[in-house]
Amino acid sequence: MSENHSHDPIQEGPEVGEFEVLEAAIRELSIEKGLFSSEDHRRFSEWAESIGPSKGSQLVAKAWLDPDFKRQLLEDATEASKAVGVDWLDPTGTGTPSDYTFFYVLENTPQVHNMIVCTLCSCYPRPVLGMSPDWYRTPNYRRRLVRRPREVLAEFGLHFPSDVEVRVHDSNQKSRFMVMPMRPEGTEGWTEDQLAAIVTRDTMIGVALPQADWTAEKAPSQVGGPQ
Amino acid sequence: MTVDKQRFDRRDSVEAHEIILGLLGDDAVRETSLPELDRKPAPWESSMQATVECLSWRNVWDNLERRQTEDALGEDIYREFPVHTRSAIATAHTLLDRGVIDPDELQAKMREVRARFEGD
Repeated sequence: MSENHSHDPIQEGPEVGEFEVLEAAIRELSIEKGLFSSEDHRRFSEWAESIGPSKGSQLVAKAWLDPDFKRQLLEDATEASKAVGVDWLDPTGTGTPSDYTFFYVLENTPQVHNMIVCTLCSCYPRPVLGMSPDWYRTPNYRRRLVRRPREVLAEFGLHFPSDVEVRVHDSNQKSRFMVMPMRPEGTEGWTEDQLAAIVTRDTMIGVALPQADWTAEKAPSQVGGPQ
Repeated sequence: MTVDKQRFDRRDSVEAHEIILGLLGDDAVRETSLPELDRKPAPWESSMQATVECLSWRNVWDNLERRQTEDALGEDIYREFPVHTRSAIATAHTLLDRGVIDPDELQAKMREVRARFEGD
């Protein structure tokens, strides 16, 4: 166990919030009345917090392999998501999220690179990408991406020539976006599962590009990856 | 486990609104000076999300109907409250409005919860 970091207790505010109390009261009364059980609530919380980016990775891998599916995904991503078991119109079916909303997939091309952000809060396509990364919710990312996208991209190690247009898509209460990156060289003949493994969360946010020798499923030191 | 829908309409919606305003303190209202750019979601928000999903799962209150209610109430009679509190407010409002929970028991439960949270 490392001795190099402190174990200071989490600092909590001095007061209990109004809505913290209201939430607990609603939940406990609902359980007392038998509307649902404590176990229901725990199971749902565990499941919702366990969702990862695998559904998004599957969507991209399918689109790379199947031109018809790609066309459908770009035309109506809400409907096409059902191919991987995500029904945006029935949030309970996918878990979290209650994101009853419209879902759009943005295709990267040699001329256009897309990125997603939520400048107002932290809207994120949770049914397909899971929980958003901490940095996605920071004011630094949210404020600066729309003003200086290339500068922010550079901080993630991504650089584009000036003739590549960088488009930033701002989520809102009703719209969620996801980036479909370009299929990298060196992946010819790969299966859908092989392709999905290199379509990592960050590539679908737009702060990274997929690479044939890179996956987020293992620690960087175990993969090697780009130099 | 399904709540008797016949009971849902017996209360006047205005009454639920007044009850909720009376239960929540002045600190609960929306920040009006700047957008809430720096806030981080609190743990209770995840728990609230699980609660509303459970209500839908167990056929008490459908998610789509809830979203529409959140939008309608949140942009009208509860517009003074922050957007991230809409689920809690809309759920409390609807459960009161439908007679699923009683104003007195909600008040008593909130008092009990607050005492517990602020205690040891």
